[in-house]
Parts: sequence; C-alpha cells; structure tokens
Amino acid sequence: MKKQLPIILGMVIGIIAVAEFYVPASGMRGIKTTLEGWALVLAAAAFVLGAINIVQVNYPKIRRMEPDWPYKVVLLACAAVMMLTGVAWHTFGGERANGSVKIAMGGGATAPMIKISAARDLALIQIGNDAPLDAATWRKQGGQVAVKAEVETPVRVFMPPEVKGYEEYNATILLHAGEVATVKTDLVMRWGKEGRVHTWLYDHIFAPCNATMFALLAFFIASAAFRAFRMRNTEAALLLGSAILVMIGSAPVGGYISDFFPDLRNWILSIPNNAGRRAIMIGAALGAVVTGLRVILGLERSHLGSD
Amino acid sequence: MADSSNEKLHWSVRLQRFDRRWVFLAMAVAILVPFILPCNVPYKASPMVKSLYYTIEELEPGDEVFVSLDYDPASMPELQPFLEALMLQLKRKNIKMVFATTWYSAPPLVQRDISELVERPIEPTGAYGGLPDRAYVKNKDFVWLGFREGREAVISAMGNDLWATFDNRADDGTPLSQIPMMQGYKQLKDFDLVIVVGAGYPGVKEYVQQVQARYNLRMVGACTAVSTTEYTPYYQAGQLLGLAGGMAGSAEYEMLVGRKATAAQGNDVLNAGYLVVILAIIFGNIIYFVSRKRKGGAVR
Amino acid sequence: MSTLPLVDLLGYWLGIFLTLSILSFLYKDNPFYKLAEHAFIGISIGYIIIQQYYNTLRPKLVGELGMGHWLALIPLALVLMMIVKGLSQRFGWVGRYPLAFVVAFYAGLQINGVTSADIGKQVERAMADPVDYKTDVNTADRGELFSLGLPPAVVDGIIKQRAQKPFTSLGQIADMPDLSAANRADVRGSRGPIVGLDSHASIEPGRVNAFGTFSQILLFLGLIAALIYFYFSVEHKGVIGKVSRFGVWILMIGFGASFGYTVMGRLALMIGRIQEIRGDTMPSAVADQVHGPWVALASIIIIVGGIVAWELLRSDAPPAGPAQGGDDGDDSDDADANSNGEPVGSAS
Repeated sequence: MKKQLPIILGMVIGIIAVAEFYVPASGMRGIKTTLEGWALVLAAAAFVLGAINIVQVNYPKIRRMEPDWPYKVVLLACAAVMMLTGVAWHTFGGERANGSVKIAMGGGATAPMIKISAARDLALIQIGNDAPLDAATWRKQGGQVAVKAEVETPVRVFMPPEVKGYEEYNATILLHAGEVATVKTDLVMRWGKEGRVHTWLYDHIFAPCNATMFALLAFFIASAAFRAFRMRNTEAALLLGSAILVMIGSAPVGGYISDFFPDLRNWILSIPNNAGRRAIMIGAALGAVVTGLRVILGLERSHLGSD
Repeated sequence: MADSSNEKLHWSVRLQRFDRRWVFLAMAVAILVPFILPCNVPYKASPMVKSLYYTIEELEPGDEVFVSLDYDPASMPELQPFLEALMLQLKRKNIKMVFATTWYSAPPLVQRDISELVERPIEPTGAYGGLPDRAYVKNKDFVWLGFREGREAVISAMGNDLWATFDNRADDGTPLSQIPMMQGYKQLKDFDLVIVVGAGYPGVKEYVQQVQARYNLRMVGACTAVSTTEYTPYYQAGQLLGLAGGMAGSAEYEMLVGRKATAAQGNDVLNAGYLVVILAIIFGNIIYFVSRKRKGGAVR
Repeated sequence: MSTLPLVDLLGYWLGIFLTLSILSFLYKDNPFYKLAEHAFIGISIGYIIIQQYYNTLRPKLVGELGMGHWLALIPLALVLMMIVKGLSQRFGWVGRYPLAFVVAFYAGLQINGVTSADIGKQVERAMADPVDYKTDVNTADRGELFSLGLPPAVVDGIIKQRAQKPFTSLGQIADMPDLSAANRADVRGSRGPIVGLDSHASIEPGRVNAFGTFSQILLFLGLIAALIYFYFSVEHKGVIGKVSRFGVWILMIGFGASFGYTVMGRLALMIGRIQEIRGDTMPSAVADQVHGPWVALASIIIIVGGIVAWELLRSDAPPAGPAQGGDDGDDSDDADANSNGEPVGSAS
C-alpha cells in the first residue's frame, strides 16, 4: 500500500492535468487551476528542502573539522545572513511613518509655502513635476518653495534609484493663502527581499559571482577546442566545419568580408540545423508523451523509490 | 610548467602536452584588446531579428504586451542590451507592458530594469535618431506582477488565469482589479503580443509548449546564444514570429532600434574571441594529424 | 546623482574583487576562489529561500490558510511529507505522495505541451509544400509580403503603389516615393539572387525559387533521415544504414551550428564581466566613482600576492596525506573540470 496509494494519486492528478486540455468545462479548469497552485507550492517548498539538505551535509563537516571546513562556515553564515536580512523586520510592530506634514498659518497674506527637511542627505525632493533635487542642494536653496494656493501639490521624497532599499514618502498637500506646510521626512530603511541589505548582498555578491562562474566557460571552451576537438572521421569534420562556418558568419568581420558568410550561417540554421533539431524535437516529444503516460498509468515507478 | 626533456620530443607532442593556461591567456588577451582598440566592424541584421523588430513595429499605440523576463545575472550580457532596446521600441510606441518572471534570480534585476528603463526616459547612446523616450507610470502604463515558482506549471497557469497565478495582486500589493490597464487582460491570449526574454529553462521553449500552441498566441523571443539553435524550428514553423539569439542578436536588434550600446560593443569583441577558438580548432587538428602521421610512420 | 554612499562604493569594489577571485581559478584552485565560491553558494541559498517564501509559499499557502481556505491544508500536508522524507529515512516513504503528485502533474502538462507544440506544429511545418513559390508582390496579401522580411512601411507602400500601377520589376520597390532613407537602404541591401529578395519575390505568380525548393527538399529529407537514425527497432544496414548515416551528417551539421552559437554564448559571458568592470553597464555617474579598472588592478595585485604567499606556505608545509584533488596545470584537466569543461570546486 505504501506504493499503491501514491500511484493512484499520481494517476488521478495526471489524468486531470491531461484531460483539462480536452474537456472545456469550467469546473475542470478550476480544478486544474487549484492543482497548479499546489504544484507551485511544492516546487517552492522543494527549495526549502534543498536548503535543509545543504545544512545536513555541511554541518557535520564543520563539526568534524574536515578539510576546507572554514569555507563551510562561510557558506552557512552567508546563507543565514541572507535569510535574516530577507525578513521584513521593519514591518514588525507596525509600519513606521516615513514623514509627517504640519500645516500652520505663516505671517501675513503670503503665497503658501512648503518647507521640507529630509533626514538623509542623499534623498531627492520633488515638488509636482519639477526635477528632483537632492536634500543638500534643497537646503542650500532655502529648504522651501512657494506653491499655488487651492491647488493640490504632490510632494515626493525618495532615495536615488542607485541607492535601493528605502521607502519613499509621498503626500499631496492643499494649501490656502498664507499657510505653510512643514514636511519632515526620515525614509525608513527597508528589510526584506527588497530591503537595503538583502539587495546589497544580491547586487554585490550574488550577481558578480553568478555571472563570473559562467564566464569561466569562455576560457574552457577555447581550451577544449584546442585539446579535444579532433576531426577523427567524416561526422566530426562536418561538425567542426559547420561550427567554423557559423562562427565566421556570426562574427561582424565575416559579414564585412562577404555577405556569403552570414547568408550561409542563416542557411545552415534554417535547413540542416532545423532538420536535425526537428527530428530530435519530434523524437523527444514522442518519448516524453510515452514516459508521461507510463508515469500517469503507474507503469513507471522509479521516481517513487524502492520498497 | 616546462618539461626538461622537451627538446627530445617532437613539436607535435610538445604542443599536445602544453599547459592549457597559455590558451586561457590567449583568450584573455583576445577579449581585452578589442576593448582598448575597437574595430567597430559594421554588421547587418539577420532575418529572425528583423522579423522580431517588425512584429513589434506593427503594434499600435495603446496595445498591451506581456513581457516575461526570465534571466539571471549570468545571462545579462546577452539579454540586457536586448531588453534596453526593447523598452525603447515599446515605450516610443506608447505600448503598455505587463511584466512577470518565472526565474527566482530575476526579481531584483527586473526591479532595477523597471526603475532605470521604464520609470525613467532611456538615455540615447551615440547618434540616436529615434523618437524621445518618456517615463512610464507604475500601474498606469506598466504593471509588475512579480515572480512565481513552478516552471511549466506557472506558465500553464498564466495561460489559464493570469490573475489567479499572481493572487490577484501586482508585486507591490495593488489589487489587479484596481488597475485599469489590467481589466480585460486575464489570460495571456488577451495580450496583443507575448515577449519572452529567456535565459534557459523555463523560457522560450516552455512558453511555446505550454501556451503558444494552445492559445495560438502571437509570440516573439530573445534567448541566449546556447539556446538559439534549439528555438529556430519554432521560428520556422511560425510559432515564434521573431527570435533574437545571443549577444549578436541583441546587437542586431539594437541597431534596428537605433541605439547601439553594450551588445554592439560586445559584438565587436566577438571577432577576436571567435578567431582564438577557430585557430585553436585548426591548430589542434594540425597537431593531431601530424602526430597521427608520425605514429603511422613509426608503425610502418 | 552626487556621491554614492560609501557602503555602495565598497559593494562595487567587493563585486570586482570577487569576480577576479573566481577568475583566479583559471590559474588553479586557490583560497580566494574557494572563499568566493562558498560565499556565493551561501548567499544563493539564503536568497532562494526568501524568494520562494515571499513569492509563493506566503501568498499561496500561509495566506490561504490565514484566510480560512482549508483546502490549503492539502498542499501543506504534501510539503510536510516532503520535509519528513528529507529528514527521516524511516518515514521517508511519506515523501512518495508529493513526488507522485508533482511528477504526474508535470508529466500531464508535458504531454499536452509537447503534443501540440513539438509534434503537431513541427510535423505540420515538415509537411509543407516543398516547392518554394516566390511571393508575387502584385497580388500577395499583407502577411505574405511581411514574410519577405520587408519593413512594415515598405509593405504598406507596396500595397498602396500596386493599386495604382503593378510593379514591373523588383527594383521599383526601392524606388517607391515616401520611403525613408533607412527603408530604401534596407530594401536595396536585401536584394540577392540565391537567398535575397530576388529569390523569394517576383512580379508575377507561379515563379519557383529553385534554391529554396532544393533547401525545402533537403529539409524534409534531412528530417526523415535523422528520424530514421533514431529508430533503433530496425538494424541500420543496407539502405536504412545509408539513410541513417545521412541523418547523422545532418545532425552533425546542426550540432556544429550549436557549438558555434555556444562559443558566442560563452564569450559573451566573459565580455559582460569586462564591460561591468569597465563600468560600461552602469550609469556614468556611478562608473566615475567606482573606478572599476583601477580596483580590478588592485584586486589582481592582492590576489596574485595572496596566491604566491599561499604557494610558498604550501611548499614549506610538511607533506600531507593522499592528494585531495588536482589543482595543478597540465595533468589537472580532469580534476579541475568536468566533461563540460566547467569548474568543479570543493563545495558540496
């Protein structure tokens, strides 16, 4: 029974997933939508399981002080820091306001004024559709501006796009003649997946490392081309000949020498490449259909493990 | 690195054994030199990229497109230039955009692209002769739906019910029912064009398999060079109306849009890189044939 | 913008340093590379967990349960079963349920997806008429004219012009009034007898594109030959053997094209790193503050110095036990890189 019930479950789910395509009833679509949501949850949870597994594998190595164990400490520490900074701590205990507006009468029947003070020097201050000014320049210009009476004036205080992870302050102020609005802002530094620290770690550790890991391949492909690609037979010669012609056709210098090379590249892509790819696609698709049906019908059980 | 008995070995044997780090160095020099001494070799757009460009040009102002940005930092050199040119072409035609992603590593990149390319006018580079760009307003001109894990399932779900896939909210929490530009756009087939910028799996192929064929969507794609040859059958069968593959495809597209930038610069550098690989293949085979002939002579 | 905050400036410098640390692997596996690699893996894990939780698990599981949608208990149960499988060998059998669900569901999606896209549409295209007729510009509809690869403005011009007077030569297309200089140049540049406009278009119906027809026939025959190669229920001897061999040749030409594009892809990745270090991919105001090339030079000096010191320390240290993984030059190809030529570090 330990295997029978999961097989039956798979059969039901698989039949619904296939049949929905052919059964236009809205109930069927609703069931599939629900199942899709569950599949998304499971797919996401699989990553959580992967993280648990990483800890399960690396922690014993640290405890036993196996070779390179300090690097495992770095690994787990970085994972912990990234997870902790990804929690939206700033929302715990209620959201903090990014600013406040106080309106009071100024002296005399003067044009209404908006005074803005920003706690962060790099913050940009924008009144209406005017170009934003940084807080330091705003202060130098007096820290206030006259606006039209009886007209709603939008005020926006935000950090420059290069400095991510801060809230922004938006307000729409309606002033009468002689009134002065004093706006004080202190933009909250966000935590969480769009927070300052989390984004910093992504931009300056994850992104460069991710890109560079793959960039190493540029060198390895040149090394492989020199050491491993041998024209041992007709097939290998065709492969390498085609590769060289496509590379020449793709390079700007190939087109500069003659239109023949890019045209040849386009022809190779359209005809022999498509012929082979189509055959692989059709073959793989037939295989996928057969394997899928075997899984759904319970004939294929290897993914369920042994008893 | 040197072998003290080198002088006793035939040059073909020595070259077969020599340290691959010299090849790495040759490649490094080949990539760096064009940055210092650019050649700016002119190039033409291929039919697939032209077709992509013209398909987007056929859109009317006010049309709405769905853009799936499925990439990561590693694929940015190939796809980011395409994306910049794409945003320019769409914005200058006043096309509304709905963004989503199925890659977990994409959201910060998408948010950066939105703030730099969508919410601000894109700066022209060089002698740009096109219409000036403008800043788009969130939830009025564009919507960012966010990321959902699930690969084929999430793509199928978007084709089935886009709103439910994203829990009826944009990424910033705004209910989709309160966003005017989302009204009437509940499935992917409601959009005038689906644009997939895909770095791998899931990407262009999964969109074609799960939704293009089923809903007969108008779809174009941009992909990394590695995947290009896999997707050309879809272009030939009309399932994709255009395809920009790799840095070369992005450079061609930049040229058509009229804003040559990093892909055009990179395309120039590709000349030298290709030369190193082609020479490596040729020399490697010369060494192979010479040593094979020597061994054949020794046996005789 | 005025000045980048110091923490962001340090961030850019750290990114450049990590980039070069990883590139130092090209010399040999070393502590700088290992540190960068492990930091990267750790940051990736933390990042993925946060993304998956906030984007999927929270709205679709926690949120649903919070709103009292008790049907969400089913995916919760499946998730817990999956976690039990990971943590316990004794109760690992419960993990079969979520596995059965996911595998069967995705199998169902795949069946529908590949049937229509990879079989249906591709076979339909393969069965297209092999005779490649040229498009008659005087009678073709808009879609057919568009498929010639002409700009939309030129297509519109053709439709407008031929209504007044049919074309008597293809050269008249480029001479149409009201065409922009770019479009005119585009049309003139696309002319060509074998693969250009002249091979696909004509001014009268029924003309055949000879090279195009040959290509379509080759496309069809190549497809059949490659499919026969993959059919292993019959021995590949005699005629079948020869056709199968031709199929292999077609496949090899396609794989060669793939290799050519793969080279482009790999080169682009490295080109992108150089562009980032130079500051070409960031706003100029930021690049001017980061001074990427100088930081790169400083990083290279630090890394080279560090590796030299590490090598000296290693050579002075007493010999350890059996070797732990090759990281030297000549003989380390297989130890340093797997069959795809990708680096294999020491992280689990």
